Amino acid sequence: MSEKKIHEDQKYVDGLVNNNSFIIQAIYDKFAPKVINYIRQNSGDAERAQDIIQETIITIYNQGCQKKLQLTCPFDAYFFLLCKRKWLNYLKKSGNKEVTINEEVLSKDDDAQELSFESSIFEGKQALFNQMFQKLGDACKDLLKATFKIKSMEEVAASLNVSYAYARKKKSLCIGQLTKLVQESPTFNQLNY
Amino acid sequence: MQEQDYILFENYLSGDLSSEEITDFENRINTDEDFKQAFTIYKELSAHLEQEIGNEDNTTDFRANLDSISHRYFTKLDIEENPVEVKKTFSVYKLAVAASIALIMGFFVFNQFSGGADYYDFNNHGTIDFTERSSEDNVGLLIKTTKAFNNKEYKEAKSYLEDLLKVNPENVEYNFYYAITNIELDNFDQADSILGTIVNGNSAYKNKATWYLALSKLKQDKEEDCIKLLKQIPEDADDYSQALKLLKKLK
Repeated sequence: MSEKKIHEDQKYVDGLVNNNSFIIQAIYDKFAPKVINYIRQNSGDAERAQDIIQETIITIYNQGCQKKLQLTCPFDAYFFLLCKRKWLNYLKKSGNKEVTINEEVLSKDDDAQELSFESSIFEGKQALFNQMFQKLGDACKDLLKATFKIKSMEEVAASLNVSYAYARKKKSLCIGQLTKLVQESPTFNQLNY
Repeated sequence: MQEQDYILFENYLSGDLSSEEITDFENRINTDEDFKQAFTIYKELSAHLEQEIGNEDNTTDFRANLDSISHRYFTKLDIEENPVEVKKTFSVYKLAVAASIALIMGFFVFNQFSGGADYYDFNNHGTIDFTERSSEDNVGLLIKTTKAFNNKEYKEAKSYLEDLLKVNPENVEYNFYYAITNIELDNFDQADSILGTIVNGNSAYKNKATWYLALSKLKQDKEEDCIKLLKQIPEDADDYSQALKLLKKLK
């Protein structure tokens, strides 16, 4: 991936990361109509489209914030494929069997396929990580919350009334526990590790 | 993986290994598949927690901003697709009747409002739903806050919001609604200072905060301050038409 040239549309990803209202508005103005059309033609309505678009943008934002999204294709193709996949998953989950999908070749862009697929995987991971975090004991939850909120381990240790060495060790073990929970979850195999 | 493996992951990620240890670590990554997989997950979990917890405030602001842009876009779309139909067969006779009714009504309405602008004509806060963006452990409190606020039980809402702000003092949304409850309860100093901060910030609540700061001044009978603030509300703000309406009454 890294040897490929970054597409100029990376500005949309960066704009989302910086919470740039102008860019968010531009994404709606330029790219939403196609998604809304597609969803309407495939058993949905504008309200569903609104949710799908919003969730998709949040995924891109999260992935962008973690610096894991380098666009090597037009945003248009990538965004559309991501929304489309999300919509098809939604239809599958809601068990709608009468759906006829108007399958058409909308993008021959391999990069768009690949990137949107990676984003779907990323989203699946985020959901699983959140779910597993809830399974941790309170001690681990509190420690991790403090660690990632306060940043300085010295301050974390002081706020929790434990020694620096202990806080540090505990942090590794809590994330370790989380790692195990993730590996043992039934959906782990779908995540391409 | 053993405990010491996870400790090693952490040390590697925070750059606390010697160059020799780093070489060993990277060799192991290249030869031991299980070790590599566990490390990859560990690293991604760290980045995930950094985003979910460390970057929580920015994410909340982003979601609020996205929400309002999305809402505006789809409302506009709905209006464009379902315009209110205008009846064209409106006879002169009907028009005359309508005009005289309008005249009479206008007279009463004028009489009613000529006393000036009133805060209670404008304090429609809409219904809120804090639970939309709830995290794991505070859903109960968010539901209570939402209910109290929507039922106009501002005393209760204020104390719930205080609890929320204890955990999340920087959250713009909580601060914004906390300010509104304070206007309702006539705690103007507190309301104005919070709103002032939001007005000078860069969040999605900037324009709304200006509007409410104006309403707070209105309730305090500080009409000049109110007018000044109303004039700062840009045309694309949600409350622009309300602001215009109030401005007309004040002049």
